[in-house]
Amino acid sequence: MKIVNDKTLHEVASTMIKKSVTRVAPDVLYLLKRAYENERSPVARKILEAMISNSYAAQKKSVPLCQSPGYPVIYVKIGAVKIETNIQKVFQKAIVEATREGLLRPSMVHPITRRNPGDNSGIGIPEVEVELVPGEADYSEVVISFKGCGAELPSALKVFTPAEVGREGVGLKRFILETVARADGIPCPPMGIGVGIGGQMHTAAKLSRKAISTRLWTDVNPDVGLARLEEELLRSINSLGIGPAGLGGDTTALTVKVEIAYTHTAICPVAVNFHCWAVRRITTRFLPDGSILFVEDEYAGKTT
Amino acid sequence: MIAEYELVTPLSDDDVKKLKVRDIVYINGIIYTARDLAHIRIKDYLEEGKELPVDFRGAVIFHAGPAVRKRNGEWEITGIGPTTSYRMEPFSDIIFSKLGVKALIGKGRMGEKTLENLKRYGGVFLIAPPGCSAIIVESVEEVLSSFWLDLGVPEAIWVLKVRRFGPLIVAIDSHGNSIFNEVEENVMKALNEIRFAMKG
Repeated sequence: MKIVNDKTLHEVASTMIKKSVTRVAPDVLYLLKRAYENERSPVARKILEAMISNSYAAQKKSVPLCQSPGYPVIYVKIGAVKIETNIQKVFQKAIVEATREGLLRPSMVHPITRRNPGDNSGIGIPEVEVELVPGEADYSEVVISFKGCGAELPSALKVFTPAEVGREGVGLKRFILETVARADGIPCPPMGIGVGIGGQMHTAAKLSRKAISTRLWTDVNPDVGLARLEEELLRSINSLGIGPAGLGGDTTALTVKVEIAYTHTAICPVAVNFHCWAVRRITTRFLPDGSILFVEDEYAGKTT
Repeated sequence: MIAEYELVTPLSDDDVKKLKVRDIVYINGIIYTARDLAHIRIKDYLEEGKELPVDFRGAVIFHAGPAVRKRNGEWEITGIGPTTSYRMEPFSDIIFSKLGVKALIGKGRMGEKTLENLKRYGGVFLIAPPGCSAIIVESVEEVLSSFWLDLGVPEAIWVLKVRRFGPLIVAIDSHGNSIFNEVEENVMKALNEIRFAMKG
């Protein structure tokens, strides 16, 4: 079995950070351009135009897409390739180095004293979620996702009773739409909305972040029922008219991603997680032959 | 028809009064960054009767914390863009009545208190395109100084010389108009229609 060691992962981590923070993910750029074509409000078009030119400028000049690096989470799936190293430590080191280079603003602080160590180090940074799936995937995968934190402010979570879920989940749908309406321009629309349903409280919260952070925004949910729910929610959300930057318009959300887990018969936890338009995500696949590929780059190659 | 203006700091009452919601503005001159911790300290200093490091009369405050690096002992800004403005809403009275600020630049909504202060003291709330630090940084010509770096790089006050800083969109003007109130009304109407259709 192929093994990824400390040195390789550190090199890959540095590349991943630089790639992800100096551009918008190419799948999101595609959706932004499509939204610009369809948008009818002149102010909204002006904002979308700025977002698209900003994406090109960041990539061309190799500077941060957004001044706020947000909060970093690493999603790891270990399949056919072993990763034998302390993933959190390796990424923390690469993050501190990228901070020194001016690629990441030092934004991580003590939660109570608000003291800023100045290099994005600190307890729990970056957060790492690991899934072990040997035999299920013929590769191993590491995703880094920097998610802006203004968008975190209106995020919401509720544990429903079975009666509150309603017929075909109508109670859940209402809750999601009301949460989006209340958020208005805060999450830097056009946003992505992650919805986690099921498990216990913490499961729903984690699923909501994972749904919007690890999937390409252009993908279709393989579960037909969930794909239909995502489409229905996206349509309803865009009819609200919040618009880019919250200044009104046709483009409020670019995507809705729903992930579920089975839950207890007494409850239904639901989490709504907002993602700004500035998606800084890169997915790295380690293949058994030793090669490494970046999923977003492959996507960009196919669409341009 | 959307009007476009270029303004030079410090801003006057006349500069501000001609602006209407949806107008596009570019700023030339000096802007000051300030976010959560700087606002808290400004409030503390005023309460304690301490002198502020900056004269904010006619000033433009940018709700922002830059990404920076030091090159040959000089600060260089690698990225700067708006942060969520409603966190600064509780400081609205101080900012306009005590400091004499004329314009805020940020993102997302600001509330009724800000709307009232902008009307009473003459000022505007401008939206910078969110998440667009790579293009916004191009209009920063020079870092003139910084204060309160002990609060951390994002939370310090940065004094920036800017040229054609924008595009900024007037979201709340000095005549009591707010794009956010218009949008909210439409959003609530749409939400009620959807809720009604979803009965089941």
